[in-house]
Amino acid sequence: MARKKTRKTRSRRRRKGRRFPIPWIKLAFAALALLAAYIAFLDFQVYRQFEGKRWSLPARVYARPLELYVGLALSPSAFADELRALGYRFVSRPRRPGEVARDGSRFRLVTRPFRFWDGAEPSRDLRLEFSGARLESLGDGARRPVALARLDPLEIGSIHTARQEDRVLLRLSDVPPELVQALIAVEDRDFYRHHGISLRAIGRALLANLRAGSVVQGGSTLTQQLVKNFFLSSDRSLWRKLNEALMALLLELRYDKDEILEAYINEIYLAQDGQRAIHGFGLGSRYYFQRPVEELDTARIALLVGMVKGPSYYNPRRHPERARERRNLVLRIMREQGIISRAEEQRARTAPLGLVEAAEGTSKTFPAFVDLVRRQLRRDYREDDLTSEGLKIFTTLDPQVQWALQKSLARRIAAFGRAQPELQGAALVTSASNGEVLALAGGRRAGFAGFNRALDARRQVGSLLKPAVYLTALEQPRRYTLATRIDDGPLEIESGGELWRPENYDHSFHGEVLLYQGLAHSYNVATVRLGLELGVEAVIRTLRRLGVGGPLRPWPSLFLGATELSPLEVTQIYQTLASGGFHTPLRAIRAVLDETDQPLQRYPLSVQRVVDPVPALLITRALQLVVAEGTARSLAGRFRADAGLAGKTGTTDGLRDSWYAGFDGERLAVVWLGRDDNQPMGLTGAAGALQVWADLFRRSGVSVLRPAVPEAIEWHAIDRETGGLADNGCGDPVQLPFSTASALPEPVSCRAAPRRWLKRLLR
Amino acid sequence: MKTLPLLLLVLTTLAACTSTPRRYYPPVVEQGDAAAGRDEVPPGEPLEPGASRPAPRATRAVVALLDQARAQLRAGDPDAAAAVLERALRIEPRNPRLWSQLAWVRLRQDLPAQAEQMALKSNALAGGDARLQAANWRIIAKARRLRNDADGAVAAERMARDLEARRP
Repeated sequence: MARKKTRKTRSRRRRKGRRFPIPWIKLAFAALALLAAYIAFLDFQVYRQFEGKRWSLPARVYARPLELYVGLALSPSAFADELRALGYRFVSRPRRPGEVARDGSRFRLVTRPFRFWDGAEPSRDLRLEFSGARLESLGDGARRPVALARLDPLEIGSIHTARQEDRVLLRLSDVPPELVQALIAVEDRDFYRHHGISLRAIGRALLANLRAGSVVQGGSTLTQQLVKNFFLSSDRSLWRKLNEALMALLLELRYDKDEILEAYINEIYLAQDGQRAIHGFGLGSRYYFQRPVEELDTARIALLVGMVKGPSYYNPRRHPERARERRNLVLRIMREQGIISRAEEQRARTAPLGLVEAAEGTSKTFPAFVDLVRRQLRRDYREDDLTSEGLKIFTTLDPQVQWALQKSLARRIAAFGRAQPELQGAALVTSASNGEVLALAGGRRAGFAGFNRALDARRQVGSLLKPAVYLTALEQPRRYTLATRIDDGPLEIESGGELWRPENYDHSFHGEVLLYQGLAHSYNVATVRLGLELGVEAVIRTLRRLGVGGPLRPWPSLFLGATELSPLEVTQIYQTLASGGFHTPLRAIRAVLDETDQPLQRYPLSVQRVVDPVPALLITRALQLVVAEGTARSLAGRFRADAGLAGKTGTTDGLRDSWYAGFDGERLAVVWLGRDDNQPMGLTGAAGALQVWADLFRRSGVSVLRPAVPEAIEWHAIDRETGGLADNGCGDPVQLPFSTASALPEPVSCRAAPRRWLKRLLR
Repeated sequence: MKTLPLLLLVLTTLAACTSTPRRYYPPVVEQGDAAAGRDEVPPGEPLEPGASRPAPRATRAVVALLDQARAQLRAGDPDAAAAVLERALRIEPRNPRLWSQLAWVRLRQDLPAQAEQMALKSNALAGGDARLQAANWRIIAKARRLRNDADGAVAAERMARDLEARRP
């Protein structure tokens, strides 16, 4: 029985065993399904990566293109600086785009083609001749005159997220065939035959490694390397490799060979530049050689291709010998594969590495300016689009002016900084007629990102606001002229329950002065008295018209600039004055193109007349007299006598802020110096900011300011003492414009009457 | 089955480090050529009445750009013409004829307010050039009519006539 029982049990067990396989098959199916799901998941991952990388392109930011035409004010050395910054190569005979020959003030160059927002500029063979600081002739290769040409614009930055790497996207058709062939020959000879992984390559690598006793060769295909780059991981586990192989196969199923190759060329890691990872041959070429990949010669192509194997091990800047050996090996392979001839190999082998550092003193990154661009763009675009859509941003930055500004600011601050190591500064330069921002400095170290004082430092503006008071007066021609006498004697006013006694900077009073002199010498008391006559509300209305947006307190201290503005806001006010009374919104961007070079947006010129031509001329003349005989007169001796420069100094209590806002016929510049902690730093507007301004305009050149004179204007010689119409006996009268609506001052006879100063002296 | 937690871990980490590709383009903001077809300038005619010869100060570069702007306007692309005129103005910012041309193009771009402002800017720089000033007042009159300011248009036309009468 016992036996039977046992058998029974056994048979039951067997039967049970027969029933079991069904769940096992289920499980196997489940595992298979899971595997399929996993493969589908990998496929999706690799697809996402591929598509994401393909399209995630930071916006590129360009400076203004240099326009070349006869009469252009530019020195040959400044032209050479710009070419160097653009990565043009100085050769004896230019043949290819990006090459230039220089013979003193004569240049011959082949320009690069470029697509602008308003059309394409073809590559051109140009001959230029400068005379002094002017372009005297411009012709093509056959010496036919050329009316106008423009260079490709300097790339001054890109807008990408902190995590994102910077890239220059290349189309396969843009890449020199030599580079593609060399890459395949060196890294993956079977590329066009395999399906993502190459057993032959793995076998070959295995054999080589066995022979050498260590890992000397990898069996990864380009596709595998691309996958590895997508997920950038140093993990070398078998699991990882299996995943990579699987993804490589999947990638090959989805995309054709050329698409994979194009992605590889844009994705491969080539160098580390501080925080910035250099991916792709496009950016790599610029990083090592300062030129686009289309312009690389055989030796440089071989150097780049050689670096793929180990970007830090073969880094040509750190290990030049290693990099050279690797390059020559690549050249040998290229010759063996019939990509280049033996002669070409020989020539390239003897060539230097050809590395080019960014040109000295002509840096190409202007973070403070790009900050302004970014803020203006944020009004119109989402941050995501800026960092991923490959937009091209054409800005107004003029590298020549920017370099001059950086040098002037750094040099002057360094000189003042010996006594004031905490001294900081900021400045903006704009084009007077159209409001384009040509240059911007956000601090003494212009090349560094950080607190952007030009946009964000809000400081007391002091006397910079005075022109608004005088303009308000001059807009009433029946009441005021530039020669109206105003009182600069002691003054007491009640303001907010307190007694206020404004004082002049020199702590003295000047009695009766002419209206223009009140501004020219920046007399506080005369200005307050004039302001009180006009009313603080009237002056605020004028400030609003000139472009002040923020809150303004309607107190008499406003006449002396008791309000805080950023250098950018001050620039907007003076922009209106510099353009003859036309409010012109400041612009840092001209146009935005999408990735396919289609215009997305233009930022057209717009102007708005906010001051009539007559008072606009009167205030301009007064601002010219600030330079001719007032607080900025130290400028007059430093520039040609007929330059007609206009401007205004600004100094605040205890010498905490030093300002100068000034313009010539073409440009306006506003400079601020001070300390971030708002402590006194010992400089007036004239001693500090004005010096930077002078340095800047000496470097970048001045153009004569000849304000447009409306028909309703008469000019008269005025006696500086009395404000009367001067006769021949008056020594050194001042020429002043008068509105035809104004009553002219009484004539004075200087011969007859005793001098007024004599009278004053006797009093 | 031991690998399942690992697998899940890999899945989640992989999922975490990918980003979604998106293609979104902001719309083109500038006006299209809604104004095209209106006020056609006959071929060969100057852009703006009264400016039959290039200004004496105009450099070759500016003349070339003016020609280009004319061609673009004839081709019905006032936006392109405006961009070219702005380029010319960067070379000669104080040339009143360029401002006047741009005023005319702004009309064609259906931007009458800016057309008036550009014409005022041209007048501010025009000095004693009564003919150019008259042409600018004609543009201003047109701009005001487009903005339904009939009185303003009449006043502008009167200014234009007065200036024209000054000429011999």
